[in-house]
Amino acid sequence: MSSTTQTPEGAEGGCDVPPNKSETPENEDSTFYECNICLDTAKDAVVSMCGHLFCWPCLHQWLETRPNRKLCPVCKAGIDKDKVIPIYGRGSTDKTDPREKLPPRPPGQRAEPENNGGAFPGFGLGDGGFQMSFGIGAFPFGIFASAFNFNDGRPAPAAPGSPHHTEEQFLSKVFLWVAVLFMFWLLIA
Amino acid sequence: MASMEKRLQKELTALMKDPPTGVKVDAESIYKNLSEWIVDLDGAPGTLYAGESLQLLFKFGSRYPFDSPQVMFVGPNIPVHPHVYSNGHICLSILTEDWSPALSVQAVCLSIVSMLSSCTEKKRPPDNAFYIKTCSKNPKKTRWWYHDDNV
Ligand SMILES: [Zn+2]
Ligand SMILES: [Zn+2]
Repeated sequence: MSSTTQTPEGAEGGCDVPPNKSETPENEDSTFYECNICLDTAKDAVVSMCGHLFCWPCLHQWLETRPNRKLCPVCKAGIDKDKVIPIYGRGSTDKTDPREKLPPRPPGQRAEPENNGGAFPGFGLGDGGFQMSFGIGAFPFGIFASAFNFNDGRPAPAAPGSPHHTEEQFLSKVFLWVAVLFMFWLLIA
Repeated sequence: MASMEKRLQKELTALMKDPPTGVKVDAESIYKNLSEWIVDLDGAPGTLYAGESLQLLFKFGSRYPFDSPQVMFVGPNIPVHPHVYSNGHICLSILTEDWSPALSVQAVCLSIVSMLSSCTEKKRPPDNAFYIKTCSKNPKKTRWWYHDDNV
């Protein structure tokens, strides 16, 4: 971006707007706004308190990868969902609420009141521990669900008392016990 | 996964355009299979490994760069170093627990060159014989114990 460039037609207002975008190929200037994770121009950009730029989806995935050790990928400073600031450029698609996207980008600091009475009450505290235990717990609960729904899923449930029915009951009990044993194993492992 | 390939493509382009001294990649072979790279390293001049040519194998999983790549020495010359086992496995914390998605092939290579360069005595790790008999083929499966960082 040289300041001596003369633009006869005059790009109105902008004094350091390059006269022609196609004349500036990918160079050091564009890497400045690259996400530190995907190395692409940051999409749904957020910046950490330590000043490092990421796509929100990239950073979110990294925080999910190590929920109990949330560090900035660049400088290893502590980093968290509540402590990153979204960046809204002028040309960004500001009509869509970024929070509606998945994973939701954290809102700007100013938009959020002190007592965080936002969309997810109760989810703000102890993010790390919660996600950890949920990740482990989800599987046995899935088994529980299938054990309890065993009869419901059938198009024609067998009449009570028939051998078919008792067999199904037996099977669902077996599933239940497997689930219980599995959870027990998880607890002691 | 697409994001992993896109990122590796970018790393490859950058490495080809501006390779650090002593680090060479064979783009031909990498283009055929983006998830496995062979990188040629030269031992840095003025160190115990000066003049040695070394080869690193990188294997990338679909969760790269969120998961670290598998990195080990391969080829005829496995450097003799207190953190390098004779099967090529490397005990280096950034390859497992200190991995960060902001690291790259280039950053790993430079870390390994620097690890070699700071070495003062060429010797194998004390548990080499036991380790190579019992370890997994995948160095990431080893529970590394990063006991001394000053070698
Ligand atoms: Zn990104
Ligand atoms: Zn940082």
